[in-house]
Amino acid sequence: MSFVTVSGLAKRFAGATVFENVGFSLEQGEFVTLLGPSGCGKSTLLRCLAGLNRPDAGSIHVAGEDITDVVAQRRGIGMVFQNYALFPTMTVEANIGFGLKMQRLPGAEVARRVAEVIGLVELDGKQTQYPHQLSGGQRQRVALARALVVEPRILLLDEPLSALDARIRKNLRDQLRDIQRRLGLTTLFVTHDQEEALILSDRIFVMDRGRIVQADAAETVYTEPATEFVARFMGSCNLLDSADSARLFGRTVSGRLAIRPEAIELLAPGAAAPGDLPATVREHQLLGNVIRYQVESLGALLLVDRLNRGRDDVLAPGSTVGLRVRGEDMREVA
Amino acid sequence: MRAEWWHRLVVTVLLVLLALPVLATLAYSLAGNWGATILPDGFTLHWYRLLWADPRFLTAFGHSLAVSVATLALAALVIVPAAFVVFYRFPALDRGMNLLILLPFAVPPVVSSVGLLQLYADGALPIVGTPWILIGCYFTIALPFMYRTLADGLRGMRLHDLMDAAHLLGASTPRAFVLVVLPGLRKGLTASLFLSFSFLLGEFVFANILVGTRYETLQVYLYSVRMTSGHFTSAIVISYFFFTLVLTWFATRLGRQESQV
Repeated sequence: MSFVTVSGLAKRFAGATVFENVGFSLEQGEFVTLLGPSGCGKSTLLRCLAGLNRPDAGSIHVAGEDITDVVAQRRGIGMVFQNYALFPTMTVEANIGFGLKMQRLPGAEVARRVAEVIGLVELDGKQTQYPHQLSGGQRQRVALARALVVEPRILLLDEPLSALDARIRKNLRDQLRDIQRRLGLTTLFVTHDQEEALILSDRIFVMDRGRIVQADAAETVYTEPATEFVARFMGSCNLLDSADSARLFGRTVSGRLAIRPEAIELLAPGAAAPGDLPATVREHQLLGNVIRYQVESLGALLLVDRLNRGRDDVLAPGSTVGLRVRGEDMREVA
Repeated sequence: MRAEWWHRLVVTVLLVLLALPVLATLAYSLAGNWGATILPDGFTLHWYRLLWADPRFLTAFGHSLAVSVATLALAALVIVPAAFVVFYRFPALDRGMNLLILLPFAVPPVVSSVGLLQLYADGALPIVGTPWILIGCYFTIALPFMYRTLADGLRGMRLHDLMDAAHLLGASTPRAFVLVVLPGLRKGLTASLFLSFSFLLGEFVFANILVGTRYETLQVYLYSVRMTSGHFTSAIVISYFFFTLVLTWFATRLGRQESQV
């Protein structure tokens, strides 16, 4: 049996359904991401798990115990908020030690465990500072330490990196993954950033309008999106309707045919072999290490990514090129 | 800079205008005999000695302090949890509260005291002439000061996030309130308490009409001795002014400290 089992969970606010009949399970030590656009219900789902919102239906089991009606303070679940939610009148140490004090542990043990976790999140020297004296990244590490020190059964992360700037976000992201692995902590992470989700997660649950539309390993969600929504949400994707699909690749589909831009091989004029599609370059966009071409082939517009190998390698608009796609890189989505 | 001396002049004139009555009162309270001459014939602490040895003054001062402190203790006990509950559980009530706290200002004290006299002179709760009616009445005066300050403080912190975080770390709602929310309100609350205190100490209309000499407060005492000696009443005013000054200075200091954090 799974460590965490959620089944039939539903939540309504003032008559509007946030999510309905949501079910999933988490294995112990797993890092799972709830990924979806803002307003899809992922944060509310997280809050229901934490006990901060009460679900209207369904049940939540942790380690075989039904915690659906258990209040937040007795669930043994840690949470990190997007805006840190540090206690402004307490020092770093007092913030981190708060949870242990609530358990009425002796002062010496509180001090020992706080010191330990301060080392873990690399906040040495900041013990006596107040939250307003810290940078955003440091604040979020205090928040993480505060959640970790009580040794929660599950760690919930509600967009903890969104308020940080890019460089610190990357740093903290790697640190977060490292700590989570080291502690073997069952973690549910909420984000709208697909890159973050792909890098961090063992599994990704993609949410759309209150439903989990795909729950798979991170790689599977990217390479084998189950629906058009997932295909679009996880990076860029060419989505061909059945007419285009039949004309270009001779495949009939009931939904759409999804092809990732990097799965299409762009062949320079002359390199095309029989069986490759003829195409014309319309324009290109420099994305850094990749150049994204927009090409037209048999009346359909396609995005194609190609490694940036220098100025001489760039194909000018109007160039005649060939396209080659392997059959297994084309995927029919609903 | 031409503008600069002009600015200084305006500020100086304003300061002189504001300080002059106080300084004149101070001079008069220290003057020995100040009749037909431009300057008094000498300075003395006689009037202060007389004042601070007057048991009636000390009693009145004690009454004022007692009523003000009791009022503020009651106000803190009632308004702090009330403001918290409004912001945490019933944020829609904040608009109603804002209307409610304006009421004491909407009705002039002279008018409302007539109503209060009728209500509390006899009947179930005959408290006219006792300090209790003043405490109740002063509560409504302190309410707007305190509620506004608390509301600003509660709006300024991420109340729900802080409470959620505290709950998840194992704190009950009352404990989270005491340990997490209250410290954040403490300085603003203290400042508003001191300001209300100076205000209540100077209150005359309610004290005079509702209680009068039956429980004489500082302002009623001042009023009743106004005919005795100008030097003497000046000494009262300066004593009272000095007391309020110290309190206000204390309150602004607390307010400043808070804005630095």
